[in-house]
Amino acid sequence: MEQPRRITDSFPRQRRAGRAPGRNKVKVKGRGCPRARPRVPPPAEEPPAAPPDPALLEMLRRFDLAWEYGPCTGITRLQRWERAQALGLSPPAPVREALLEHRDNPDVTYSLWHEYAL
Amino acid sequence: MFSEEAAPTAQGLLAPPSTEASTFARVPVSAYANCSQPFRLGERSFSRQYAHIYAARLIKMRPILEERARQKWGDGVAVRKLCELQVGEKSCVVGTLFKAMQLQPSILQEISEEHNLVPQPPLPKYVHPSDELILEDELQRIKLEGAIEVQRLVTGTILAVYGSEQDDGKFLVEDHCFANLPRPLPWKGPSSDRFVLLVSGLGLGSGSGESLLSTQLLVDVVTGQLGAEGEQSCAAQISRVILAGNLLSQNTQSRDTINKAKYLTKKTQAASVEAMKMLDEILLQLCTSVPVDVMPGEFDPTNYTLPQQPLHHCMLPLASAYSTLQLVTNPYQADVDGIRFLGTSGQNVSDIFKYSSMDDYLEILEWTLLAGHISPTAPDTLGCYPFYKSDPFILTECPHVYFCGNAPRFQSKLLKGEDGQQVLLVTVPAFSTTQTACLVNLRNLSCQPISFSGFGAEDDDGDMEVGH
Repeated sequence: MEQPRRITDSFPRQRRAGRAPGRNKVKVKGRGCPRARPRVPPPAEEPPAAPPDPALLEMLRRFDLAWEYGPCTGITRLQRWERAQALGLSPPAPVREALLEHRDNPDVTYSLWHEYAL
Repeated sequence: MFSEEAAPTAQGLLAPPSTEASTFARVPVSAYANCSQPFRLGERSFSRQYAHIYAARLIKMRPILEERARQKWGDGVAVRKLCELQVGEKSCVVGTLFKAMQLQPSILQEISEEHNLVPQPPLPKYVHPSDELILEDELQRIKLEGAIEVQRLVTGTILAVYGSEQDDGKFLVEDHCFANLPRPLPWKGPSSDRFVLLVSGLGLGSGSGESLLSTQLLVDVVTGQLGAEGEQSCAAQISRVILAGNLLSQNTQSRDTINKAKYLTKKTQAASVEAMKMLDEILLQLCTSVPVDVMPGEFDPTNYTLPQQPLHHCMLPLASAYSTLQLVTNPYQADVDGIRFLGTSGQNVSDIFKYSSMDDYLEILEWTLLAGHISPTAPDTLGCYPFYKSDPFILTECPHVYFCGNAPRFQSKLLKGEDGQQVLLVTVPAFSTTQTACLVNLRNLSCQPISFSGFGAEDDDGDMEVGH
């Protein structure tokens, strides 16, 4: 859809983080929506890691919702795992391995409710 | 004690000066370790809720309370979670206490326009006969009634209750217990008399100079410039001075300048600037002679939430040149000559005083020790940093000296525990009102007040007294 050219088109449009809340649940893959990123050229680095499979994300979500390890909002999943370990609650080790393997993936590191403010 | 050693040589004051000047070396610092690392905050992030600190508190203290419950009510007592309770079955539940208080100041009620309420003026106590106790564990909550003193307890305490659930959904309490004294520390105290001076509430910058003379007398006693040789040799046994908060007075906190117009307030300085300069000069005199630990208090220029971080050294340029000045956190924990000191500037005790029916500061101090937590009301009514990993206010080891500053009067008590713990509880009075400081003898954990007074306004020929 061609919009008439505006003077503000010379500045890149940036979407901010307060997007619709339901978005995250539908996405299975770990990539963010390409529209949302500011128009900068993608950094040419090593190829991105393999996206985590749905079963892994499901296990992480179950770890978030398990009440034994305390509240999950406001801290990363790894911080919650470390805290559970320090308090002697023996959290499952596969969760930590998955968190360390996909450390650069925000859908893996942050908790289920990360997009919500507090 | 202090005065008994000094008394025989008191007539030295009226003798001509001796030919050689006697010098008294202060007792050397034999062992000092600052153990307040859990109270230091590095990077601070406030984007968290307080649920984490409550969860960490409950998870950490649950095993301790289950152990106590088994000791008190037998090994076979059924420890249940609230979701596993059966109606009528006698069981023990461990959880966090919440006290629903009618008079508790609520920000939501104040700003709610439909109520049209005038904000409630601050009351000395917010207790009300209609307060209720609710026990919460990780998943559920239940109302408590029965053999439990509703007025005495405060929100945030972890306790174990023994009783049964009733048909109406409330829990009938037959007995309850707290975490009790934590495990004892080995005794490594000195074999000879050594004193630590505890002072709090210097209250500088208050505009009235009444306590300034007393403050100067205090500094003179500690630095050995007062009294005959007996007094001076006793003062040489003071190995440390701990200033427990409220170095500045509440008057320095006045915020009138915010409401006035800019052109009226252009040249005014905050009252705390002048007060900090006075504090710097006093600390300079003290630091040249004795190690000093300075804890911030409620009215001091540092952060408001507990744990309060140390005052910044750039505010005390003259005194921070000396390595004897230590700026420490509130609460403060340290090993002095083998004796573990733990204390606060009094905000935790005065907050519990407001929300509980307990009136005696020493009683509240003892109660916090028995409840196993320095300040259970944080973060509910007392500002607290949102910790998430652990709650640093939980008492894991029993200190030898447990003090709180800014109390209305001096009180002390030696508490003996079942496992051989010996704790000296001291409520350090506010110096600006009572002109009293505390001397703790590390050899036998005894404590005596030392009070200073100057000329009164009423009497013409009043004496300068240094009373013991």
